[in-house]
Amino acid sequence: MSQLPTVTIQIPAQSDFVGVVRLSVSGIASRMNFSIDEIEDIKVAVSEACTNAVQHAYGGGDGMIDVAMTLHSDKLEVLVKDSGKGFDPANAVSAKQDGANDALFGLGLGLTFIRTLMDFSEIESVPGQGTVVRMVKNTPVETSA
Amino acid sequence: MVIEFSVAVENAGVVPVVRVSGEIDVYTCPKLHKVLTEVVDSGQIKVVLDLQNVHYIDSTGLGTIAHSARSLSKADGQLNVICSRPQVRKIFEISGLSSKNINLFEEESKALSA
Repeated sequence: MSQLPTVTIQIPAQSDFVGVVRLSVSGIASRMNFSIDEIEDIKVAVSEACTNAVQHAYGGGDGMIDVAMTLHSDKLEVLVKDSGKGFDPANAVSAKQDGANDALFGLGLGLTFIRTLMDFSEIESVPGQGTVVRMVKNTPVETSA
Repeated sequence: MVIEFSVAVENAGVVPVVRVSGEIDVYTCPKLHKVLTEVVDSGQIKVVLDLQNVHYIDSTGLGTIAHSARSLSKADGQLNVICSRPQVRKIFEISGLSSKNINLFEEESKALSA
């Protein structure tokens, strides 16, 4: 069995590099059968995962973020991984709850976008070891005329 | 095509209009935060935020806008957002903020007169 095509990119965990990942994932999704709206959804979700890593993983210090985009025949799978301090997703504030700490509110909102805009998502975070966000967007089913 | 981020305040009328272009993300958001904070802290009761030329916004941008809207709301003021792009409106709707103290409009005239 041939290996699935995977594009990987590694960026410094700095805010000015998140746009680079957005451009990359947009280019990859454009090669698949996604609509413009779906490509925008993917861009937001992947960007949010990177933003979370930039803001929370390394406590303002140096670190890297790895992004792997795998092109399945029926879906795009994206992994966003950091080796930072990790967090408990349960502590992220609900997106519906305002008046809360702005940073936690942003984190909760980011996770809400990932869950809402992708078809599948899961977050594994281990304190002191880092966080992996895995998300999947299924390609539209083509219907014959 | 990537449009360069810019944010500027127009004070031609009674209501200040903050016009933003480009992408609002974790990198550009501090610039928007600075301008919005200055406008809100200047004692304005009503502020219009023009996002018609914004084609991408994320949680950091929404957090900044929500923060300004809360500050205005506490002073019995309001933040009216002009937002005609479906993808940007969708982000507001998913966040739940459009049902709270942020008013979304498709036309500038309605945002100014509301």
